[in-house]
Amino acid sequence: MWRQTFLILTTGALLLPAAEPEKPKNPAIGNPEAIAAGQKLFGAGCAGCHGTSGEGGRGPKLRNRAVWHTLDDDGIFKTIKRGVPGADMPGSSLEDEKIWQLVAFVRSINSPAIEQNVPGSPQAGEAIFWGKGGCGNCHLIRGKGGMLGPDLSNVGGLRPVEQIREDILTPDNDGYETYRRVTAVTTSGRKIEGVLKNRTNYSLQIQDAQGNLHMVSTAGLREITLEKKSPMPKDFKSRLSREEFRDLVAFLSRQSMRPAEGGK
Amino acid sequence: MKALAILLVAAALSAQVKYEDILKGPGANWITYAGGYSGQRHSSLTQISTANAGSIVPKWVYHVPKASGLRTHPLVYNGVMYITNTNRVIALDARTGRQIWEYFDPKAKKDGVNRGAAVLGDKVFFVTSDVHLVALDRRNGALLWQTKYGDPDKGQNATLAPLVVKDKVLVGNAGGDTGMRGSLVAINANTGKEDWRLYTIPAKGEPGSETWSDLHEWGGGATWLTGTYDPALNLIYWPTGNPWPDFYGGNRKGDNLYSASVLAIDADTGKMKWYFQFTPHDVHDWDAQAWPVLVDLPFRGQQRKLMLYGNRNGFYYVLDRVTGEYLHGTKLVDRVDWASGLDDRGRPVLVAGKDPTITGNVSCPGVRGATNWMSPSFNPATGLFYIMTLEQCDVYSASTKEPEPMKGFSGGGAGRNPESPGRFVLRALEPTTGKRRWEYAMSGKVDAWPGTLSTAGGVIFSADDDGHLVAFDARNGKVLWHFQTGETINTSPVTFAVDGKQYVSIASSTAIFTFGLFEPAAPVTPPVVKEVP
Repeated sequence: MWRQTFLILTTGALLLPAAEPEKPKNPAIGNPEAIAAGQKLFGAGCAGCHGTSGEGGRGPKLRNRAVWHTLDDDGIFKTIKRGVPGADMPGSSLEDEKIWQLVAFVRSINSPAIEQNVPGSPQAGEAIFWGKGGCGNCHLIRGKGGMLGPDLSNVGGLRPVEQIREDILTPDNDGYETYRRVTAVTTSGRKIEGVLKNRTNYSLQIQDAQGNLHMVSTAGLREITLEKKSPMPKDFKSRLSREEFRDLVAFLSRQSMRPAEGGK
Repeated sequence: MKALAILLVAAALSAQVKYEDILKGPGANWITYAGGYSGQRHSSLTQISTANAGSIVPKWVYHVPKASGLRTHPLVYNGVMYITNTNRVIALDARTGRQIWEYFDPKAKKDGVNRGAAVLGDKVFFVTSDVHLVALDRRNGALLWQTKYGDPDKGQNATLAPLVVKDKVLVGNAGGDTGMRGSLVAINANTGKEDWRLYTIPAKGEPGSETWSDLHEWGGGATWLTGTYDPALNLIYWPTGNPWPDFYGGNRKGDNLYSASVLAIDADTGKMKWYFQFTPHDVHDWDAQAWPVLVDLPFRGQQRKLMLYGNRNGFYYVLDRVTGEYLHGTKLVDRVDWASGLDDRGRPVLVAGKDPTITGNVSCPGVRGATNWMSPSFNPATGLFYIMTLEQCDVYSASTKEPEPMKGFSGGGAGRNPESPGRFVLRALEPTTGKRRWEYAMSGKVDAWPGTLSTAGGVIFSADDDGHLVAFDARNGKVLWHFQTGETINTSPVTFAVDGKQYVSIASSTAIFTFGLFEPAAPVTPPVVKEVP
């Protein structure tokens, strides 16, 4: 009878169900030949809507994880095979092996930058980050830098390289209100300036340039001024040469809290 | 309008958390797992008292993303709350529950729970499930460094809240139910470099290794519950887990040091000063993972530095924390049948026939223990020790299969005994005798793990087995107030104050609930919001 009762172990974390073992990846994922084959198939069948390098068009952009569903490999496979009901995307009649080549290509353009082969010199990019680019005035890497922008210690571990490029060139397009300049004026006339961390009709959380947090109830405020645009400079195309920009992206792509999978 | 002006808080929250702040113990801030080093979980706050606890109301709820079975104890410093979930830290505005920042490590391997963070200076520390200590900037969650201090490929994972002692961050590991070697590691808070490491299972040839016939490398002795610290003695007290395999001891004949023990460790060097083993050669998975609570009290006419210890094995212990001398022991729960008592050195006097068997054997307490990681507390005003206990027996089975580490093998198992479903009982004990002064039996399914919090307002907060947060009168156990969270509670409450207002917070299975005293709401006149395109 007792054998039907569930096993209880009470040490550490083991009361929760054990983590599911990681599924082995399809051999096509990360395989350069499969990626090249997938790119050809993509150009023939997908690029018409999704753009030749996944930049999007009639169909969604595929190379930027933040703006489309973060599907796993199986999810991408199923989406290609079955299509998207109710949308213009048809199911594919390709054999499974070829669909996996497509998945491998899509993965290659939207996997985190640390997993991608990114051209350029990270060493030269590091000098630009802390010097000519001025990035370190507002951004932190491993505790060094300024407080106003997002921490970039793990940017290569989280974002695909194309997204990093876009983040630098078109920072206003991220769709967020946070990290924008804000000024709050209290009923007694005191000014609190910094970047916005969070806002509701009842409270604001503001961080100033020194990193101090100001947690403010709107009940004590007279006025709030919110800048809709990012405080990021918009002149990187003119401030940096093509090579310098490439190197900066190469440096950011190497910023990861974890080593690359597969030891890249 | 004056009242509105008072509502405004624009605290410049740049102050550094100092070691001396942790030494002060819990007041407006709650900045270490147990609130203070003694493990008493007694706050000096008095605003919420026995007189007004009936007017406690919820202030906010924060639903933790992807949470299930939360174990976190919130920390609060200068109005910012730090909570954790697996591989995740979130900073909240402690007055409103609004998120300030979030840090998540999606690449950390393994899964599991997380018991909380630690803070020092500008940093907040937590452990990932794959045994990294991570240091973040407390102000914005930026990564400063991370140090791998254990090896998931050797069966280890990590769940604990780190403990800051001076300039060190102490961390331990879990995984003792499937084979691994426990250790306690001190990591420099500034550099992330390892200062010292103490293994809980001696290597072959080291003193204590003669208490194992084999399995030194996989013998368990996990260190997954945060210990306590006596600054005057400079000793860290750390509990250790069960020996492995949990339920079959035929391959590890002997006492199996230093499993199921409390270790007293020099904070500077990591050298063990003394140990006390509660359950020699444990075969019931009775980790000593409970809180070593440090109090100074008269004991038999003499002022002593004591350690109070409610243990999973069913007994309550009073030790001298200077020497480790056993002073007193008694049954913590009624249902104890594996030992008839403790001898004059505190060693259990075994009852024959209570070990797990191939076909299953009922023994008490159950595998969850007479108590567990749920926090006890001590109230200096009442002089009482408050502890959540579990009256339960289980059916224990053994497997004589050759032990294979990291394969989910624990040498047997334990299942519920339908004839003894069990129940939680919150008990107030005289600390030096273990005599019961009051108790509160709970209904429920015996699936919670709630701890206690003591306050100078004379209120004991705890949760019950039905998802209520409950306020008790510390003197007599009278229920003053209760609130249904709608979920199982596996954690302990904390208390803190912001802008002179006292709050109480607890994690339910998926959310952080925060309470305070009722205040009538004032009408809000929203400020003018100007948007600059």
